[in-house]
Amino acid sequence: MPTAGRKSLTVALAGNANVGKSVVFNYLTGLHQHIGNWPGKTVEKAEGTLYFKGHTIDILDLPGIYSLSAFSIEERISREYIAIQKPDIVINIVDASALERNLFFTLQLLELETPMIVALNQVDVAEGKGISINVPELQKSLGVPVTPTIATRGTGLDKLLDKAVRIVKSKEKAKPARYGREIEEKIRRVTKLVEKIPIKYPPRWVAIKLLEGDEEIRGIVGGIDPKIVSATEKHARDLERIHGERCSTIITSERYNIANKISRGSQRITPPKGPTLTEKLDAVTTHPVLGYPVLVGVIFLTLLAVFTVGGHLSGFFEDVMEPVRGAFGGGAGELIGEGLLGGLIAGIAIVLPFILPFYLILTVLEDSGYLPRAAFIADSLMHKMGIHGKAFIPFILGYGCNVPACLGCRIMETERERTIAAFVVTLVPCAAVTVVVFGLVGAYVGIHWALSLYLLNLAMIFILGRVAFKVLPGEPMGLIMEMPPYRKPHARSVLKETWMRLKDFIYIAFPLIIIGSVVLTGLKVGGLLGPIGSAMSPVTVGWLGLPAIAGVLLIFGVLRKELTLVMLATLMGTANFATVLTPTQMIVFAIVVMYYIPCIATIAALVKELGWKKAAYITVFEIAFALLLGGIAFRLLTLV
Amino acid sequence: MITESTEEYLEAIYNLRERGDAATTTSVARELKVAPASVTQMLKKLAKRGYLKYTPYRGVTLTPKGEKTGKKILRKHRVMEKFLSNLGLPKSRLHRNACELEHHIPDDLERAIYQRVEGERPLPPGVPSNVVPLTSVLDGQKCVVSFIGGGWGASQRLADLGLTPRTEIKVVKSALFRGPLMVSVRGTTLAIGRGVAAKVFVKAE
Repeated sequence: MPTAGRKSLTVALAGNANVGKSVVFNYLTGLHQHIGNWPGKTVEKAEGTLYFKGHTIDILDLPGIYSLSAFSIEERISREYIAIQKPDIVINIVDASALERNLFFTLQLLELETPMIVALNQVDVAEGKGISINVPELQKSLGVPVTPTIATRGTGLDKLLDKAVRIVKSKEKAKPARYGREIEEKIRRVTKLVEKIPIKYPPRWVAIKLLEGDEEIRGIVGGIDPKIVSATEKHARDLERIHGERCSTIITSERYNIANKISRGSQRITPPKGPTLTEKLDAVTTHPVLGYPVLVGVIFLTLLAVFTVGGHLSGFFEDVMEPVRGAFGGGAGELIGEGLLGGLIAGIAIVLPFILPFYLILTVLEDSGYLPRAAFIADSLMHKMGIHGKAFIPFILGYGCNVPACLGCRIMETERERTIAAFVVTLVPCAAVTVVVFGLVGAYVGIHWALSLYLLNLAMIFILGRVAFKVLPGEPMGLIMEMPPYRKPHARSVLKETWMRLKDFIYIAFPLIIIGSVVLTGLKVGGLLGPIGSAMSPVTVGWLGLPAIAGVLLIFGVLRKELTLVMLATLMGTANFATVLTPTQMIVFAIVVMYYIPCIATIAALVKELGWKKAAYITVFEIAFALLLGGIAFRLLTLV
Repeated sequence: MITESTEEYLEAIYNLRERGDAATTTSVARELKVAPASVTQMLKKLAKRGYLKYTPYRGVTLTPKGEKTGKKILRKHRVMEKFLSNLGLPKSRLHRNACELEHHIPDDLERAIYQRVEGERPLPPGVPSNVVPLTSVLDGQKCVVSFIGGGWGASQRLADLGLTPRTEIKVVKSALFRGPLMVSVRGTTLAIGRGVAAKVFVKAE
């Protein structure tokens, strides 16, 4: 608890992706973290608290970005936060091994004229690449303090905080770097105009953004005084006439020139003899031929690990918890035992054991730098489904369980890409669906029918993916992705990140699973299953040609898809399904189960990644689509 | 004398290939917004004149002669697009007007306009025929960014990641099945999808 009367400090961490920002964040905040979303956005917001030499410090980890243009929500959130919420200080984490590109971002932070310090991170990695950096020189060129750190070992972080606290007390603000004479002249003129209007951003920064043609800032300024916007346009045209390029390109180039000059002036590079680790690993993992078996191997091992570890854990939890549930009987008892505890058990014993190893492996793959390589070689295949290579990993994992697959879609950069990927992933038949397809169609109709259903599914995924690609608004984004160097994953960071994600998932998914379970048990106890079954019979019997009981089964399947089969056996009192269903009914039933609705845990994951609205759209669409497909299949199969 | 429609076809086929799509009757028809039947007719005609090889139901491959024309027209298209964009024309008109102009711009005028959009001064004596899409740069080759066509989003993103005009970059390798390109720029490595890379124009060495 913060001491009464003493104000706590707020610190924002800002920097490119893959610079070790989250490692710094995890190191500083330990488990005092909270991961949520930015209000109204599906962008992750990580906050934490730290006590340092008598100060309470609130740390906010801003998204990893490369620029402060209005290109993505992440960029807009970051600049808005820094300029308007005004943290006491911004710690800019810079990758010492890619100084020039990182300084390009640093220069933009300087323009926000906020108190600031640079953490020159991964100096060890830089040394491995033969790069040594003259810190005093860099500090002089940037005009803000620079501290070398190795976040994975915690080196330099104490000193970083010490300096940060000192800067906050001195109230010293960063000063923006100067551009070339022609551009500076234009900036000066526009700044003069901007200074006259009330705006929360620094005037010089606003002037630069106006010259760059930044739509958001143009909107804000235009709303106050449209004359400034038109005056700026004239200045921008002048610059464009001189340079023959779009004004935004001119300023970007100019910024890179400065970044280049500073980095050249403060670093010495002696190229290492022989190939680096990354080059050696890349020779195999992105090899035009060898890359593919490696990818298949990684996927296979991931699935194997998730399912063996998950299977064991799942069995263990079920053994432990089953007796507890048995202790409850009677109407109300059943509601608690079956509904409440049953739901909890489903969460703990079925979902959690698979999510935990999955998160662990995903974090390791992410931290090591393999994920971008997988995306690189799988891009052309995924392209055919309307998504790019990065979605490959979630897609494949969908065959195991849709839940981690949906959560994995957050690696997609734009909202549009994330939506398409999550949609496609929910169409992938998971292990539970496999149980139904093979247990029913495979066992009683023939294995070739079961496999045909999988091929049909794959075709549907390609078609629906393309349709989503066409239909969804927004500019489709081709693949533009950084390929960070390979790194040894940092155990502490991996564990903490896994734990935070897991916690986050539990908060969202468990209430849904438990409520769903209680409601269903309530229906059962209340004797409403029969009436509901008959209420649904126009669809189940009339349209799909299934027995009336199917309606109830499909409702239970929402909880867990394999329950459709389990309940069928229970309700029919036989495990020989050939006596209760015709082959056509089996195929139709399997088709409906395959597509009809993401299970409740998947819906929870969709809500977390895409928000309520999109999750609802996807769910409704898939129900309608499954019924349509099932009905068509029924009619075709009875014709034959 | 090559007709306008011949140029249109060769450009479309070349563009499809650069983007990583297969050139078939259907895809060419879609690209040019004409009926597949008339595409088949035209492809046969072009095959007879030695611009391309056409196998019904299989697809089209350009001969060196066809490729030369297709490449030139596409480059003219992109240069004009960039020029019109610099003039401040709205995005909706760029493609249409560039399509009309590309057939009527003599090579020397293209060069002058190109030098305008490239912004190099004093004017270099060279012909910009070595300005090619990044997709046609071989693995392991170095080149210098000339300009980036296409929409604002992708070009600003690429610029933010360091691909600004006059920056030296290197194509490290490209993935199979016309997948993305791995490009090293300013001490970092990027993967760029073929569709995006086709809009990055570079001066090959």
